[in-house]
Amino acid sequence: MKIIHTILMCFLFVNVSNSQERFLTKNGAITFFSSTIMADIKADNNQVLSIIDASNGKMAISILMKSFMFKKALMQEHFNENYVESDLFPKATFKGEILNFETLKDLETKLEVRGLIMIHGKRKEIIIPASFTRSENTIFVKGEFNLLLSDYNIKIPNVVAKKISKEIKVSFEFNHKPYKK
Amino acid sequence: MNNKKIITIILGFGIVSLFVVYKIYNKPHVNVSDVKSDIIITADKIIDDFSSDEMKANKSYLDKIIKISGVISELKVVKQKGIITLKTNHDFGSVLCHLSDKATRKMNSLKEEQTITLKGICTGFLLDVILVNCEITY
Repeated sequence: MKIIHTILMCFLFVNVSNSQERFLTKNGAITFFSSTIMADIKADNNQVLSIIDASNGKMAISILMKSFMFKKALMQEHFNENYVESDLFPKATFKGEILNFETLKDLETKLEVRGLIMIHGKRKEIIIPASFTRSENTIFVKGEFNLLLSDYNIKIPNVVAKKISKEIKVSFEFNHKPYKK
Repeated sequence: MNNKKIITIILGFGIVSLFVVYKIYNKPHVNVSDVKSDIIITADKIIDDFSSDEMKANKSYLDKIIKISGVISELKVVKQKGIITLKTNHDFGSVLCHLSDKATRKMNSLKEEQTITLKGICTGFLLDVILVNCEITY
């Protein structure tokens, strides 16, 4: 975790003179849905940290697992204690690059982000499509993609297997602002 | 007669256990305002602890109900939810308190630079220490 933090810090502060180039949000939103015939489950996280370096299109995201809020307290408990084991793996991260970032103008543009995602201590290469809108003071990113629980070694006990989808839909929305301190 | 008794007992037992399962399944979220805080701390101290040893701080603070005091550096509302940033003596990094709906409605009465005490649940440390479901306790 220390390493991730150091990387994030480097990302932000290596090039302080160029600070205009860094865009960040501390309250990005990620929602995930699991939908089966038996149950629909949804959880929201509104404390996601996302950073874009506009000079090279690199992107880094950090997520606290305990910040996912469920409607039912029991589901939240099971999610943290049994499925993602958030005491052992308190964060999920993504680090990657926005492909063709230089083509981004003020119009909504569909781009792909390629990088490494890490959930439950498991790393996986991933390409995520997202729509980007850039203005002078914001870079707005929005999109959704699917994750397979088996890719991240997340095991669901048989008793509840019918209620939890093996494929989880993840949607995200980040409104990055220029970083200043 | 005896048969009837047995059936009544089984039925009664069934109803009680169904009720218990239902109760557990629908158990409510912790109501921060009603529960006594586990830890009382200042914004400066909590960020010190997280920056010096995050693993250790995670063990002591995560999921705990924390009463935190500090000076407000920023007040904002994102998606109808209030967020209060508390100042710390660190250059980067502060304490972000995400308010409950009830506390968000009380936000108008607050000003920047004001000293405040909040009670919330700590979910971890990114660039800032993050607390959710915060209530304003002054």
